[in-house]
Amino acid sequence: MGTQPVAVTSLLAEPMVRRRAGLWTDAWRRLRRNRLALAAAAYLLALVGVAVLAAFWTPYSTTHQGVVLPYQGPTAAHPLGGDALGRDVLSRLMGGAQISLLVGVGTQVVVLVLGVPLGLLAGYFRGWLDAALSLVINIFYGVPDLLVALILIVLLGHSGLGQIIFAIAVTRWMDMARLVRGQAMSLREREFVEAARCCGSGTFKILSRHLLPNALGPIIVQATLGIPQAILFEAFLSFLGLGVQPPTPSWGSMAADGVQAIRISPHIVLAPTIALSVTLMAFNFVGDGLRDALDPRQRR
Amino acid sequence: MSPPLLEVRDLQVRFLTEEGEVRAVEGVSFNLQEGEILGIVGESGCGKSMTALSIMGLVPEPGRVTGGEIRFKGRDLLTLAPDEVRDLRGKDMAMIFQDPLSSLNPVLKTGFQIAEAMLAHRRSDKPRALRQAVDLLRQVRVPAPEQRARDYPFQLSGGMRQRAMIAMGLANAPAMLIADEPTTALDVTVQAQILGLLRTLNRETGTAIILITHNLAVVAGLCSRVIVMYAGQVVEEGSVFDLFERPQHPYTWLLLRSVPRLDRTRSERLRSIEGLPPDLIAPPSGCRFHPRCPFRVERCFTEPPPLQEVGPGQRAACWVTMRRALEEMDAADLLDVRPGAGSGVHGPTPRSPGD
Repeated sequence: MGTQPVAVTSLLAEPMVRRRAGLWTDAWRRLRRNRLALAAAAYLLALVGVAVLAAFWTPYSTTHQGVVLPYQGPTAAHPLGGDALGRDVLSRLMGGAQISLLVGVGTQVVVLVLGVPLGLLAGYFRGWLDAALSLVINIFYGVPDLLVALILIVLLGHSGLGQIIFAIAVTRWMDMARLVRGQAMSLREREFVEAARCCGSGTFKILSRHLLPNALGPIIVQATLGIPQAILFEAFLSFLGLGVQPPTPSWGSMAADGVQAIRISPHIVLAPTIALSVTLMAFNFVGDGLRDALDPRQRR
Repeated sequence: MSPPLLEVRDLQVRFLTEEGEVRAVEGVSFNLQEGEILGIVGESGCGKSMTALSIMGLVPEPGRVTGGEIRFKGRDLLTLAPDEVRDLRGKDMAMIFQDPLSSLNPVLKTGFQIAEAMLAHRRSDKPRALRQAVDLLRQVRVPAPEQRARDYPFQLSGGMRQRAMIAMGLANAPAMLIADEPTTALDVTVQAQILGLLRTLNRETGTAIILITHNLAVVAGLCSRVIVMYAGQVVEEGSVFDLFERPQHPYTWLLLRSVPRLDRTRSERLRSIEGLPPDLIAPPSGCRFHPRCPFRVERCFTEPPPLQEVGPGQRAACWVTMRRALEEMDAADLLDVRPGAGSGVHGPTPRSPGD
């Protein structure tokens, strides 16, 4: 009996601290455990740093020719060598990072602006709005992406970054709209939405306060995974000569230039393609990590 | 007597489905006085929830209110513009649901959700609304309300969540609160606490409460007046005391006998009600309860009985009533409760062509 009070006070002295974990703190904790996603995120942060830096400073000009011998291999002064026109590949790679990130993120911004409201409205109201949206989405799925993008780029005239972003977004918004529509359709039947209606909440409030926040996890994942798709599409367009116009560097056009000299100086094609691959992978890893962190159904 | 707070007259709710028109609510009428606690009892699918949702103007698709009148504070809710009804919802009338977890938004903090309910109707700044939310949580007896307001719904216990729901319902001090099976998802001790809370709030704030439940014990403990519904219709209405002491409709009587009681002798067997609730697409002719009623008479097969006075303040829709069943059919000693067992009537007499 003599030991009992001691035990009690020791319990009192160290009260159990309840972890105050909200949705986002919880997700962050899970994301932090995912080393791969974290490394990928670090790489992307560094890439953003490089892109920002490239706006003010690159080792050499990104467009000036003859700063290095044409087809020059890597040297100390030019770590990634020179391209067919004697431009510094490293500088152009940095400039290309800027384009890639702008296109990737810009496209997703347009996709979000387009897809989220449309999906929310269609999923919440159903009826003719939903039928119309579904029809349009199916038509867009039916037409090849490349065709749509090509037609748009031709129609919009050659070819600023804005046009490219818009053209890519037009081929990419459907996935987001459909995802949000599905989320809205399942969320609108949830009781808390009915409870909100019972409290006299209006439609806008229900959409913005109750549907959107609950769908935010999948939306973020979808947007993150959409970035590499857009980057790849831009590189593809530039590879075909339809993207960013020369001499502005883009990873896609750099690769197109390099392909012609792939036998004598492979570094010209390797540099942009490796950069592209690593960046795409990084975005996918981060996206997957976010999916695992934000999706409660996959909680382990 | 002052005019009732809520007056439901001849309410009709129908659902258009592929199999046909479901008559979920058929001619329901009742009154609710200011500050009163009214119970609506019935088995699942009898239309009690639909009645509540009609009052709130929230009958789900493909259902529609096809007739009747719902007067709330003298205004007919069915003829008001949707925006006006929306403004009344949450401000003058509120509703709480069975499952408090799914009724709370999982990604919003509890206090914020209560504040939102307030801000939907009042211009007020957010910090003030949040403080009032904490006060409301305190009013519904949530311990450490400041901390609980910062919790997400999944971090609260079941009883706490229901309290938070009630706090949300009371956010704008409504004149009427509809509680649809508020304790069904909770364990018994918590049930008692929540019911006690509703009673206290009713006394403190004067909010009239409509309590919808299938649980007779809940009704007995809380309500002053009770409506019994069967197959979309009101079959009996009266004070809680009369209804439990002298039920006049056989359905009410059987319902009461199907509840285990401590003060009943062992020899009295617990009875269930034979049969299933009727199909509301093609409801039975005459009295809707006649296919299951042990005391039916021939008239029950053809003529629907009106809700009529069977005692002071008590009304029942029955051609026989339990008074007669007890006197003439030995209902008290009846062990067999199969349809027609008490009255010996197993079908309508076929009409001769000469009739």
